[in-house]
Amino acid sequence: MGCSSSLPDRSVGRVGGLNPDGGDSDAKNLRVKLVLLGDSGVGKSCIVLRFVRGQFDPTSKVTVGASFLSQTIALQDSTTVKFEIWDTAGQERYAALAPLYYRGAAVGVIVYDITNPDSFHKAQYWVKELQKHGSPDIVLALVGNKADLQEKREVSVQDGIEYAEKNGMFFIETSAKTADNINQLFEEIAKRLPRPSAS
Amino acid sequence: MTSNASSSSFSDEDEESAGQKPKTGSIDYSPDAIENQLPSIALNTSIDEEKVSVADDHHEPVTEIARGSSREIEPERLISSTGESNLSTETGVWRNSSKVEVDGATSSPCSSGYAGEMGTSSGTASTSGADDIQELRNNSSSVGNDGEVLHSAQWVPGKRHVDEDDTCMSWRERKKHFFVLSHSGKPIFSRYGNEHKLAGFSATLQAIISFVKDGGDRIHLIRAGKHQVVFLVKGPIYLVCISCTEEPYESLRGQLELLYGQMVLILTESVSRYFEKNPKFDMTPLLGGTDAVFSSLFHAFSWNPASFLHAYTCLPLPCATRQAAAAILQDVSDSGVIYSMLMCKYKVVSLVGAQKAPLHPDDMLLLANFVMTSESFSPICLPRYNAMAFLHAYVHYFDDDTYLVLLTSNSDAFFHLKDCRIQIENVLVKSNVLSDIQRSLLEGGMRVENLPLYPSTRYGSLFHNEPSDRSQESLQPGIGGPDGLWHFIYRSMNLDQYVSSKFSSPITTHQHQKRLYRAYQKLYASMHDKETGPHKTQFKRDGNYVLLCWVTTDFELYAAFDPLADKGSAIRICNRVCQWVKDVENEIFLLGGGSTFAW
Repeated sequence: MGCSSSLPDRSVGRVGGLNPDGGDSDAKNLRVKLVLLGDSGVGKSCIVLRFVRGQFDPTSKVTVGASFLSQTIALQDSTTVKFEIWDTAGQERYAALAPLYYRGAAVGVIVYDITNPDSFHKAQYWVKELQKHGSPDIVLALVGNKADLQEKREVSVQDGIEYAEKNGMFFIETSAKTADNINQLFEEIAKRLPRPSAS
Repeated sequence: MTSNASSSSFSDEDEESAGQKPKTGSIDYSPDAIENQLPSIALNTSIDEEKVSVADDHHEPVTEIARGSSREIEPERLISSTGESNLSTETGVWRNSSKVEVDGATSSPCSSGYAGEMGTSSGTASTSGADDIQELRNNSSSVGNDGEVLHSAQWVPGKRHVDEDDTCMSWRERKKHFFVLSHSGKPIFSRYGNEHKLAGFSATLQAIISFVKDGGDRIHLIRAGKHQVVFLVKGPIYLVCISCTEEPYESLRGQLELLYGQMVLILTESVSRYFEKNPKFDMTPLLGGTDAVFSSLFHAFSWNPASFLHAYTCLPLPCATRQAAAAILQDVSDSGVIYSMLMCKYKVVSLVGAQKAPLHPDDMLLLANFVMTSESFSPICLPRYNAMAFLHAYVHYFDDDTYLVLLTSNSDAFFHLKDCRIQIENVLVKSNVLSDIQRSLLEGGMRVENLPLYPSTRYGSLFHNEPSDRSQESLQPGIGGPDGLWHFIYRSMNLDQYVSSKFSSPITTHQHQKRLYRAYQKLYASMHDKETGPHKTQFKRDGNYVLLCWVTTDFELYAAFDPLADKGSAIRICNRVCQWVKDVENEIFLLGGGSTFAW
């Protein structure tokens, strides 16, 4: 499980209709829009469910459109971060609608399945898409999910790290099933968020 | 025909009973008027129900599986007959008109069975049979005494038998197939099996359709022994159902229409443009992840009366509760919300539209069938509203069953709709609407056992039953309602709504309920038969039920009785049911809302 990072230090951009109205976000209580992208079936919803509700449902339904969940975490420096999470459907028919959900997002979490090289390629497509059309100061995370399936692994940790480093992303491997690294993922993201200046 | 035999002997009793006719404006026909009509209708309408065929229906799917191998229509045979350009008239009637009867002789077991073709089929057949039986058991065990909700928790949506293809015996034995393919013969969707492996089969269907099309005609139906092959062409998209469930052609066609509607709901009709640009366009990826939506639709075809009545049903609620819900929905509907619906499972709690165009019941069925998560915002299309454009659906579940749907055309409206929802939720909680909904789910609804004995006892509400009534019911299993009434469905024509009584003893198992559902479906089709109908009344007796159907300009009533029920009493009971529905209509229907009301 490697980590690489890049921290833009401008303030969080908020434009577009699917963004929270803002206003109640200050230096101590951040409120950020996070969008999860990735191929169908890589486990985006499972990651969110594990993070928000602590549950894992192997038979979970396919996401249609995008579902919305929120979760607040407290950091050690006594700031809180409220994540407003858009869990998007990975299917092709919604690809054209993705901008609706990632527009104005402060965080983009791009997920692939470590047992599925195709999903890794799809993840790279999403990274490029967000770099091109996302907010300029978006924090990007690359997540290799299903890390519990080591014996079926087809995308090496090294490949993930290298791609993430090249693109200035934060990288982590997770397992929604075993809860491994799920909270770490969101804590790391929270730490990397640009803080609004106190003035 | 037992109905004819029995129809003559009840007139005396019936005349006696006429005195008890409730005096109400809504009931236009006196019992004797119906009675007079019945014998003639019994003679000349579609009471051609053979006992044998009905009996067959009952044991499904177990017996079907046992015989499946000898009754299957095989694609190969269809190909070969299409391949021959000089179809004889017996087998080729399907060229010249809408309905086709492939001569029974050609589909006799000896000429059609797979058994001859594939000598070693018994092994696979028995495995698949066991599989289906297992599914059946799961279903029936999950339906308790109050089996109104058949799609109970244990029915798991999702595609079954994904690995099969048309070379599998088990695949061929499935009782009801649905296929969607493109005009170039590319598979788009199959209920069972892997679409990609079914390319050859799909091409066969395409060949049949275009063969007839090239002759300047349209193919609607092929009948081959017990099987019906029903076709529906929607521009570049072809839909086919192959079924041996003995459902009427009209019902199967209606199901194909709904299947198409479900696809339009997900993708809009503008998807056909892709086919104009590229006839070989592969549509399967666009439907990725929707297997659960389609499987739950197919499931609805065998339990949800809305799928053939084209009407919706409401959750029974005290009048004040529904008004409270409607008021708050109305409040938010002015702010860019096209439709607001508060739903409980597939039942409407309240529905408000900002526009004069009513929400079509089929659109409601398809929308409710479309699976969504706890809180979501998704593009959907209402086929009957505008088949070419997406709306955006904000969905929020208040609990496992109750959810709010707000439809808007503004793709940026999420946070506004979320605020609306919070506002609505506050009101719903404060005015106890959500807890009333839960209570109604548990104990609401019309039970045939509670049919009031007019005119002596009448209570105008479903929600003030003495507790003692209920305990009495539970002590008397196997009785049903008065005079052998087992179940009824009442459909209001003006409201586009129906109400169905709760299933009670003896219609308690999944098989019984499905059999009754199919009987209603058949009854509906025969009443609305374009060639011989429409009809006003029908009385039908077979080994399982007495079915009585009564259609007026205001309502349609479908009632099932004990097979030994007396005809005169059955008619009297139907009048009472109508009166009962009238008395409690503001608790079971959405009045002044929904379809006919201009906002």
